[in-house]
Amino acid sequence: MEEIKPFEFKQCVSILKSTGKKAKNIRELRDIIAKVSEECIFHHTYQYFLKGHVLEYTSDFAHWAGESLEERALSEQLSNIDPYDFKNINDLRNELINVIDRYLKEFPEPRAAMPGDEFYFNETITLIFPVGIRARNLAEFLTAIKYIDLGSMYYHFYEARMRLGGGIDDFSRWIEETLWKKELAEKIRAIDPFMHNLEKIKEHIVSTVEDEVRKDMEVIDRCLTYI
Amino acid sequence: MLDLYLGISPKSDLILLQMLSERLNKRSFLHVNSTRAGGGVAEILQRMLPMLESLGIHARWEVIEGDEKFFDTTKKIHNALQGKEEIITKDMWNHYFEINRKNAFKINLEADAVLIHDPQPAPLIEFKKTGTWIWRCHIDVSNPQKRVWDHLSRYCKKYDAAIFSVAKFARAMGIDEFVILPSIDPLSEKNRKLTEQEINETLNKFQIPLDRNVILQVSRFDRFKDPLGVIEAYRTVKKYNDCILILAGSPATDDPEGEIVLNEVREYAGNDPDIYILLLPPFSDKDINALQRIATIILQKSLKEGFGLTVTESLWKGKPVIGGAVGGIPHQIIHGVTGFLVHSVEGAAFRIRQLLSNPGMAKSMGEKAREYVRNNFLITRQVRDYLSVWHSMENKGLNVLEL
Repeated sequence: MEEIKPFEFKQCVSILKSTGKKAKNIRELRDIIAKVSEECIFHHTYQYFLKGHVLEYTSDFAHWAGESLEERALSEQLSNIDPYDFKNINDLRNELINVIDRYLKEFPEPRAAMPGDEFYFNETITLIFPVGIRARNLAEFLTAIKYIDLGSMYYHFYEARMRLGGGIDDFSRWIEETLWKKELAEKIRAIDPFMHNLEKIKEHIVSTVEDEVRKDMEVIDRCLTYI
Repeated sequence: MLDLYLGISPKSDLILLQMLSERLNKRSFLHVNSTRAGGGVAEILQRMLPMLESLGIHARWEVIEGDEKFFDTTKKIHNALQGKEEIITKDMWNHYFEINRKNAFKINLEADAVLIHDPQPAPLIEFKKTGTWIWRCHIDVSNPQKRVWDHLSRYCKKYDAAIFSVAKFARAMGIDEFVILPSIDPLSEKNRKLTEQEINETLNKFQIPLDRNVILQVSRFDRFKDPLGVIEAYRTVKKYNDCILILAGSPATDDPEGEIVLNEVREYAGNDPDIYILLLPPFSDKDINALQRIATIILQKSLKEGFGLTVTESLWKGKPVIGGAVGGIPHQIIHGVTGFLVHSVEGAAFRIRQLLSNPGMAKSMGEKAREYVRNNFLITRQVRDYLSVWHSMENKGLNVLEL
């Protein structure tokens, strides 16, 4: 019998690196977004989901526009950009610029941030490491996922979409390709990464997998009653 | 030694620390600063060095020596970097360099990684022999006196990298610049778990009753900490909720205004028996720890602040903190999650009332506060970050490093 390839839980940790660039108003924000590195755009959009608290906004750009500039409409428009809709970071960058340009056409003289409250452009160095947990079947996977850190959730559920391309998370990929549970994989893929924080994503996955494990157990019970 | 942090620090931080130390095993890591005791840098180095040693890294800590003129100059440099107008003459700059030159011949500067803390020893870079040299800036240099920064940065730019405490403190120097947030040690005297008896000792010492809610601010008697604003907020709250206020702080001996501010505070407090003004001598860590543990709500109503590690300490005690939205405080207080950020006396009073009237909310915020510190501001995370920067500097050009 072919051996099942275990799911190896990993985690990533990011070390913040300053680019030395900062913007004090929307026009400067737009011009710097146009030329900063892809890592910088990645950090301020995708890695926003690594913040394990309230998701009033969905990127650092939207957060800054809302909190520091109090440009609520722009903040809402930026928050509505789902980074997972884009095939690559430059497409996402162009959409950010388009949204800001449209706003600037309507409100050409937006306010500037208070000194010290400018937008600071950063990027990260990411370290990936195994956390020493492996799952060989769905029951083990269920136990493991309840105990892993949110950093590990982020790595497998969010970061994987860009790392491997195709917008697919590691969990559903393993469940489909190794456990041949296509239906369950699709249920996990149906969880919208943009609409929940990491804790909620974890709860969703746990309850979805739990249903499946229970269903599998019930099948065995039914078989036993036929004997 | 890492075992001591099991169950306290996040497991993943401990795993990564171990994996990084395997890669850096038996390599040498030198730290240089200007004081062996006193101040946050020395405090964290005292705890960090044994941890690095226990991880198999040959860690060494050297302190530069200087005369009065040198430390007068570096104090002025320090103030000027934080925005104060200071005059530093050519002679003072020359002396500053000369003292560093003398130290360079006394100290063994050979190491695989060298972390130079703050401006005092910055010119040592001129005497670099081997290894990766990193300048670690612990102070807010976001708005420095330009002439002083221009002079100092001639040295800083020669380092392989720099580390700042908050992103907005970073300068565009053309070298790699990392951001590593400060941390507290959960096992230190100021933060360790206390027994009931130890807490009672402090309460008895200061005659503090526990029959009402306690509002606490721990800080120096300094106008930037707004102690009068805290009393005003307490008075507003007192109309609705019975409580006591504790203002605890050490006298600021290096600040001639400290005494004046303390007298202002005493006068403003008048003869209110529910306001406790506690002048704590140095090394009152255990008392501060106890006060933070018995407080219902902790304030840090600063008008200007560095990172504000007293906020971190308070959050670690599982208390919601109401703080001014300045310096590093917004990095720690997530508004409405781990506490409240306020911009006025009225804001502070309103949030105190809100928390006193909703003990459930205060409890749940306090729990989130402690978890937030656990995940972000413990010493194990800071050591992890230092080793990560070192490792990444040895793998320059890679943004993703798989261990």
